[in-house]
Amino acid sequence: MLSALILIPFLAAAIVGLTPLKGTICRNIALVTAVTTLGINIVLGFQFDFQHPGWQFAQDVPWIEWIGLNYHLGIDGLSFPLLLLNSLLTLIAIISTSQGIQRPRLYYAMLLLLSGGAAGAFLAQDLLLFFLFYELEIVPLYFLIAIWGGAKKGYAAMKFLLYTALSGILVLASFLGLVWLTGESTFDYQTLREHTLPLGSQLFLLAPLLIGVFIKIPIFPFHTWLPDAHVEASTPISVLLAGVLLKLGTYALLRFGVGLFLEGWVYLAPWLAVLASISALYGASCAIAQTDMKKVVAYSSIAHMAYILLAASASTRLSMTAAVFQMVSHGLISAFLFLLVGMVYKKTGSRDVNYLRGLLNPERGLPVTGGMMILGVMASSGLPGMVGFISEFLVFRGSIAIFPIPTLLCMVGTGLTAVYFLLVINKVFFGRLTVGLPKIPPVKWKEHAPAFVLLLLIFAFGLKPDWVTHWSEVQAIALLTGG
Amino acid sequence: MVSTEVKRSKSYFIDEYIARLEKGDALLDDTPQNLVEVVGILKSYGVVLDAYSVNLCYIADTQFLKLFPFFKYFNGDVNTKKFLKFLWHDRINYEYAEYCMKAMFWHGGGGLDAYVDTPEFAAATEELIKAYFKYNPLMIGLHKAFKDFLPEQMRQMAYYSGLGQFWRVMSDIFINLSDSYDRGEIKCIPDVVKFILDGLVADAARPITYTVKVRDQEYDILPKSAGLTFLMDTGVPYVEAVFFRGTPFRGTVSYNAQAYEISYDLGMFNYGALYADPLPIGGAGIPPTLLMQDMRHFLPDYLQDIYRQNVRGEGDIRIQICESFQKSMFCVTTAAVQGLAPHPLNTEDSEEQMANRKYLKGWLNRILESQILKVNNQKTAEVS
Repeated sequence: MLSALILIPFLAAAIVGLTPLKGTICRNIALVTAVTTLGINIVLGFQFDFQHPGWQFAQDVPWIEWIGLNYHLGIDGLSFPLLLLNSLLTLIAIISTSQGIQRPRLYYAMLLLLSGGAAGAFLAQDLLLFFLFYELEIVPLYFLIAIWGGAKKGYAAMKFLLYTALSGILVLASFLGLVWLTGESTFDYQTLREHTLPLGSQLFLLAPLLIGVFIKIPIFPFHTWLPDAHVEASTPISVLLAGVLLKLGTYALLRFGVGLFLEGWVYLAPWLAVLASISALYGASCAIAQTDMKKVVAYSSIAHMAYILLAASASTRLSMTAAVFQMVSHGLISAFLFLLVGMVYKKTGSRDVNYLRGLLNPERGLPVTGGMMILGVMASSGLPGMVGFISEFLVFRGSIAIFPIPTLLCMVGTGLTAVYFLLVINKVFFGRLTVGLPKIPPVKWKEHAPAFVLLLLIFAFGLKPDWVTHWSEVQAIALLTGG
Repeated sequence: MVSTEVKRSKSYFIDEYIARLEKGDALLDDTPQNLVEVVGILKSYGVVLDAYSVNLCYIADTQFLKLFPFFKYFNGDVNTKKFLKFLWHDRINYEYAEYCMKAMFWHGGGGLDAYVDTPEFAAATEELIKAYFKYNPLMIGLHKAFKDFLPEQMRQMAYYSGLGQFWRVMSDIFINLSDSYDRGEIKCIPDVVKFILDGLVADAARPITYTVKVRDQEYDILPKSAGLTFLMDTGVPYVEAVFFRGTPFRGTVSYNAQAYEISYDLGMFNYGALYADPLPIGGAGIPPTLLMQDMRHFLPDYLQDIYRQNVRGEGDIRIQICESFQKSMFCVTTAAVQGLAPHPLNTEDSEEQMANRKYLKGWLNRILESQILKVNNQKTAEVS
């Protein structure tokens, strides 16, 4: 069943990409594929045993035995929420793609490859298999930015490619080193996890892994590719980039950083917490200075992803659960905000904070978009009743006893979230509509449907957080105890 | 192709608009689109004004001196069906008429404003108050303790009646204008202005009176002998209050402080209908929204079709109505400016021309600060 989550998107990508189908048919195939994978994930969710700390629905088939590569898949409380997020956001990305998109066959094929690749990475229980999927998703994303991106798409796509390829090399170096030092002939995660290397070796292997995933997350100072990629990517791609792709980095951080090198991780944790607080404050400070709405959300992502590093550094039961929750929370909120910024851009042709004014105008503006933007800002700022509050509260509650100063600094970062987003809201949505702005076409309800779905989940998980935490709580303990 | 944008000084536009008015043209550009919008919107405005007028006169005639006139918007027909409709808000928003009345009352001007402060008015209201509260010693006692309260209520009632009578005439003019247009007699914007001007002139001397009845005894609050007339004592103060200074259009100019849209000179703020920024229409609590909401129910089909062709269809219809309404008010203002001019504007006598130009310059100095240049797609230089 788990293979279906990878094979169905790949098969659909092949059909869409290699056969001369019309654009609408390609879109429909992509939609059916996304709905199917989401359906499979929901079925898996009903069959998932929350109390079981290990792998479930595992599949282990030898693939290329002489290099130790096995086709080993499985899900646990860490990967399952991200799989669900991936399938949901893929569906939302397809729905929010313009029906008149250029070169639809290639576009939908790349989108499906991206989705399948991300699912494969979350499912892989073999380090080499994880690396293959981790690298695989770079290719479609490169094309999605380079072909369907904005004015500086070539630059942004190349920067993304170079950074994330380097990230992959570093992660692979760490994995190869681990296999070499343990003397194993397999890349199987569980097998490698049973070895405990000396602290020096752990630090030696953890360093490249950390730099690799810090690029992917991204954490300051390895972040510079992200704002460019977000700004140049189209709205659906920004949704996937923020909602899923960045999570590959934090997933690798928890799965391999904590899971394979626990002692080294604990040794470095105080420094990682400091780095998390610097990244959070840096992201927030940069967001304040931006004049492009998309860049504000992009820098906000850098700040909010740093909370996951803080929570992982604290390595308490609560903070590890919080890290998973923050991944889901950020995935939903950032995707929501990117959809809304995309809507503003689609209707006004601008994202410039110094140009746009008064978009909350009830008759000629974008009142529903603006209203939802305010709710998104409230969620991102951590207002109670929404998913952002729960995730940030759990992160800070789980971390403050271990790293009080970095946690307090991250809390300042949360305060700054309200500052930079309210600056945007105040300028762009309040006051008088921009003089000379061409008449803004109305937004149809179906155009807002993807954002409504995300908003519903933002409230649902904010009011009923145990729907997420009960997936990851047991697994969080297992990661810390080596279980 | 390189596009260039020409910006001209205010004095240039004053000269241009003086020439335009002397030629017999209107402040508003004469285009087929403007003609359809102005006539269509004035038709719906006429229907709404009729309802406003009836209600204002009803309140003045029957709700005077009532401290809690709960059902003043029901015109004496209170029943459950009407009450539920009222609560549902699918009704004429009479509140807008009261906003206009209060604007006139506040800004004053004209003979009506002067008369309500005369001893004759005070004596008439005193007599009325005593008769009305003849069997109510509590109110008579309160009246003695607070001498200004009830007379002030009657001053306000005089304005209810005055505006009601003014709108009665204007409503008929606008409906007749629409009928003339339908018959093909109105072909351009100057025709619209002429029609309105003729209507104003025809009723200029119409007396404004106000009489109430208490137990079969009539009391002349504004007697015919006061000499109050339609044009100078209600029309001109109305134009001044609502078109230029207008309380009812407060809130329609919204500013964003962070975008440096707040003027350092607070004297630059104007809230009249001619200055109103149509964009905030649709916002809760903004009085013009009520008027636009009322007018949208009575739009002629040809105007509705034009609005539907807009980018947002009927989504921003109230703003489109406000824009058309503003255009129509420039036509009414043109008629008022022409009607009040010291000499015919097409005079060839140089002394009369000089007097006219001095008179027109005074108006245009104010009018050019309004939305007229924007409505006519003209741009003025920042330094004028």
